[in-house]
Amino acid sequence: MAISKSATKSSVREFVGRREVGLFLIIVAASAILSLLTPQFLNLNNFISIATGMSYDVIVAIGLTLVLTVGGIDLSVGSILGLTGVVTTMLLRAGVAIPLAVLAGLSLGALLGALNGTFIAKFKINPFIVTLGMMAVARGASVVLTSGYFLSNLPAGYLAIGQGKWFGIPIPIYATIILVIIFDYLLRNWEPLHSIFFIGTNPDAAELSGIKVGKMLIVSYILSGVLAAAAGVFMTSRLAMGYAQFGLGAEQRAIAASVIGGASMSGGEGSIFGTFLGVLLLAIINNGFVLLGLSVYWQGVVNGLILVIAVGVDAIRRMRRGEDRD
Amino acid sequence: MVASVLKIKGISKSFGVHKVLHDIDLEIAKGEVHALIGENGAGKSTLMKIIGGIHRPDTGSIEVDGESVAFSNPQAAMAKGISLVHQELSLVPNLSIAQNVFSQREPTNWLGFVKWDELHKRTRELMERLGVDIDPATMVAELSVGIRQLVEIAKALSMDAKILVLDEPTSALSEKEVETLYRIVDDLKAAGVSIIFISHKLPEVFRISDRISVLRDGRMIGTVKAEDTDTDEIIHMMVGRSIEEMYPPRASSVGETVLSVEGLSRGDELSDLSFELKKGEILGFAGLVGSGRTETARAIFGADPVDAGTITLHGRTVKFKSALDAINHGVCYLTEDRKDLGLFLTKNVRTNIVSSSLKKFASQLGLLQHSGIEDTAKYYVQHVKLRPADDKPLVMNLSGGNQQKALLAKWLCADPQVLIVDEPTRGVDVGAKTEIHSHLRQLANSGVGVIVISSELPEILGLCDRVAVFNEGRITAVLDGEGTTQEDVMKYATM
Ligand SMILES: Nc1ncnc2c1ncn2[C@@H]1O[C@H](COP(=O)(O)OP(=O)(O)OP(=O)(O)O)[C@@H](O)[C@H]1O
Ligand SMILES: [Mg+2]
Repeated sequence: MAISKSATKSSVREFVGRREVGLFLIIVAASAILSLLTPQFLNLNNFISIATGMSYDVIVAIGLTLVLTVGGIDLSVGSILGLTGVVTTMLLRAGVAIPLAVLAGLSLGALLGALNGTFIAKFKINPFIVTLGMMAVARGASVVLTSGYFLSNLPAGYLAIGQGKWFGIPIPIYATIILVIIFDYLLRNWEPLHSIFFIGTNPDAAELSGIKVGKMLIVSYILSGVLAAAAGVFMTSRLAMGYAQFGLGAEQRAIAASVIGGASMSGGEGSIFGTFLGVLLLAIINNGFVLLGLSVYWQGVVNGLILVIAVGVDAIRRMRRGEDRD
Repeated sequence: MVASVLKIKGISKSFGVHKVLHDIDLEIAKGEVHALIGENGAGKSTLMKIIGGIHRPDTGSIEVDGESVAFSNPQAAMAKGISLVHQELSLVPNLSIAQNVFSQREPTNWLGFVKWDELHKRTRELMERLGVDIDPATMVAELSVGIRQLVEIAKALSMDAKILVLDEPTSALSEKEVETLYRIVDDLKAAGVSIIFISHKLPEVFRISDRISVLRDGRMIGTVKAEDTDTDEIIHMMVGRSIEEMYPPRASSVGETVLSVEGLSRGDELSDLSFELKKGEILGFAGLVGSGRTETARAIFGADPVDAGTITLHGRTVKFKSALDAINHGVCYLTEDRKDLGLFLTKNVRTNIVSSSLKKFASQLGLLQHSGIEDTAKYYVQHVKLRPADDKPLVMNLSGGNQQKALLAKWLCADPQVLIVDEPTRGVDVGAKTEIHSHLRQLANSGVGVIVISSELPEILGLCDRVAVFNEGRITAVLDGEGTTQEDVMKYATM
């Protein structure tokens, strides 16, 4: 093989990674099949609706990828999305200015994330248990606050965040793309965030290598909380209401997408761009269900199966890794 | 000659495109101690993992007691009486010693409940045979590497194997424990057990083995009777040339005090320790396993808290709150436990080398310069003569000795002012060991204060300018490296 060829190949691979290329090809194949099965698939409006629909999942999954990379898990993202959305809309209905209400929602997300992170990093409680508890508490609080009602009648300025368009494309899509680019760049290149790869691989060795393990654990959970809250803002403004059950099951789709995109349940691996492709794949499959008129009840089954398969393949891959070289 | 219990013919094995074993033949006789030696990366552990059912060979056959076998997993090998003590320790840290030793084979009553009394009694007996008096309920996580190694051996002994493979069992043991191990090997041999023994320490190879087989670059060079050969011939077989096992010259002059420690105390582990480290010298920490050497290093490094004591660095009193704090002040510590505390096994060599100096590769804004990382990693790969000479393989796929070299590279890369190395040559071959010694001496000559913790007395005495002898959490003597004998050190270490 020519040296120059292998050199360019390896630098391309460093940039996007083998995993992402494979995932991209699967997405192209899935799209090709769908466009053969139904004429409605290959259509700009359909694409925009897929992109808008997946934007909340992408934003949540970015945070989840960070948490998986640092070696943890966050089951509370869906509930945090729901609760922060409810709190933001309640403040708006009480007449609080839009920027302040949004800021309050994001801060609440950060606070809940910080609580998760502190219990995990400082008191060494299993992240699964801590965030499972937070999941129940946050969801319960949303139900209590709303008594199960929809909170509508939100100010027009707020609705513009989720419903506004630039050049015919909804604003949440721009926001999602920008967040993916920023977090992908930071995770690869920004030393403090990049250090979470070391923490997730071997926290003891990371501590003795001078990496701030406890601090970055907490930061990861805070980011996960803030991003879930941001998704909550977009969702409530797009749908023009706050509702206690928003974000139900978001953690499950986010975990599946992260793992499909290259994150490992045992920590130390993860790619934001890969996660983006993971959400895209799930969104296309779900879009296929709708277009082909298959029962929505099957979607839950399929999503669950995809999660189990993705995590199972990840486990097998890790077992095999001892057998062959990178 | 006695019948062979194990007969290997034509074994080859590749990992991807990399062929690590070529057409290996080996016969092990009943009741013999057979040493397998070769440089780091020669393929010794890989061959043993094939015998132990962990890897499958690409070609070749294995016979046990004349019966042809093909193991698909370690349990199958155990069922044929082969038990393996791995080079890399493989115990479960948050289970007790007893649970590890009898993992999956705990004695149970008719309801399937574990009979704890019996489990603990049998574990205690095994550990006592190895000369360790310890509560079998102790968590493995609390044990030193040396004791973990003994637990690993106890586990293999508990299986009543007829072929026992010991892959570098002594690399983490001190002299006293090694003597106990020799005794057990002699007993087992008398009972007809065959032992395959891997080690880089040639004196011990000659001490216990009947025959010696040498691997080089994945090829079997030959098998010789231990009584018919000598160190020079063996080294020649190993590397294809002769190597002088020589220590670098000692410091010609030492400068001012770099680090001084006074009255360091914690519980009953460390009591009132004081010593000084001078610029340009190598200070050795000698002593038995558990005498407080590692604890002292960790305390200085900020990894563990202390009750009392002052640490002075370049004339200024310091108190490191964390490893990060210490590293920022130029104080670095290479841990004895490379797998759990030192390396990121599932990451590549490059990532590992820069893991303790990431900040050096970041701009003011914290953005990493990946090309700088790559160049530096490549430089250190050459510098420590890593094999393969590549910064991309995952560290978990390196041979044990090469993992150790990668760990050294990681700390050299951090540009230390004071470097504490804990068992720096654990598992490295004769040639590489000499190289590591000369790296440490070069560091000292360039003005870095170096502390070497080692359980190998010849290494301590050959390399260090001064030796602090530890005994139950105290320093009982500080001796000159030159002219001191092993007996002198042992006297202070055990008095
Ligand atoms: N799982 C694996 N995947 C890829 N390469 C491997 C794997 N295991 C071992 N190797 C390679 O095989 C070669 C032989 O390794 P092995 O561990 O058998 O050496 P060794 O003789 O035991 O060395 P040491 O004395 O350092 O322990 C090395 O080049 C190593 O990098
Ligand atoms: Mg080995």
